[in-house]
Amino acid sequence: MFSLFYGLYKYLFSKTEFHVLILGIDKAGKTTLLEKLKSLYSNLEGLPPDRIVPTVGLNIGRIEASNSKLVFWDLGGQPGLRSIWEKYYEEAHAVIFVIDAACPSRFEDAKSALEKVLRHEDLQGAPLLVLANKQDLSEAVSSEELARYLDLKKLDERVYMFEAVSAFDGMGIKEGVEWLVEVMERSKRTETLRIRAGVNGPA
Amino acid sequence: MGIVFTRMFSSLFGNKEARILVLGLDNAGKTTILYRLQMGEVVSTIPTIGFNVETVQHNNIKFQVWDLGGQTSIRPYWRCYFPNTQAIIYVVDSSDTDRIAIAKEEFHAILEEDELKGAIALILANKQDLPGALDAAAVTEALELHKIKNRQWAIFRTCAIKGEGLFEGMDWSKL
Repeated sequence: MFSLFYGLYKYLFSKTEFHVLILGIDKAGKTTLLEKLKSLYSNLEGLPPDRIVPTVGLNIGRIEASNSKLVFWDLGGQPGLRSIWEKYYEEAHAVIFVIDAACPSRFEDAKSALEKVLRHEDLQGAPLLVLANKQDLSEAVSSEELARYLDLKKLDERVYMFEAVSAFDGMGIKEGVEWLVEVMERSKRTETLRIRAGVNGPA
Repeated sequence: MGIVFTRMFSSLFGNKEARILVLGLDNAGKTTILYRLQMGEVVSTIPTIGFNVETVQHNNIKFQVWDLGGQTSIRPYWRCYFPNTQAIIYVVDSSDTDRIAIAKEEFHAILEEDELKGAIALILANKQDLPGALDAAAVTEALELHKIKNRQWAIFRTCAIKGEGLFEGMDWSKL
């Protein structure tokens, strides 16, 4: 009897947990973004940017935003480490792709990395948030300019947005996260992942 | 739940001493790493039966580092040391490709342990000076590190006898 009520309670009030991948080439600011997310959304103090070392593996952040639980997987972006990205695709609800908007010499590298991510079938239908990061630097280009430069093809069937942010001072991050939660809540991919989790055991 | 309270308590009142376990198969280089970290020199070691424990200070943080013997017969006793562990350093002999599958099994078994749920994992791909040593990407693949989805992890290439890579690993673990 208790378990019946508990099940009902869980059904009514439990929040879905969304898995969000944070990808991008090295030095884009992925871990700085993760730490900023932790400071903005939880009472955990994120690491200050000067104490962040290059990621060679996985960093994790858990936050609650807009009444949803989000788990962020921040993966290392050095060329030798990018091969592990795809191992995390299958369970991801959405992707945040971080680009250093103040470093045009590496746009090409970022573009090809992003195109490779989008081609992967395990990420089919996953909403994409592209962040033009490092807006605190005067030489950073705007999100429109970055979008024009990347000139991504075959994006039409995917929900996506470009957003100018600064992981350093926090600009634009809340807007990005709000958008992400909103699109994840009604994305078909979320439904698919939920069904799959339901078949393989409790979500 | 108990762990949560213990952690809260120690984070509020504890002296900043973190417990780190150094684990891995026998002959991976755990003891060499421990003494390299503690004294900065290479000591000649014999197979550890039981454990070595030392306090290592790095960047003003004191770590209590436990190096547990790695032979098959003593691996079951590892779990006696699991409570209150903040980090696991898992040492792999990158040149021992024959046994890397066993190293993988042992590692994933450790990660299943309830008492280590909150511990972060630092993997050291050791013995990089030996011919045929796998690089970080290959060790990542062989250990199936991508299956770790609920804890922070990192991998570093190390050569304990030359002291390479160890301090990068320690820098990371303060995160």
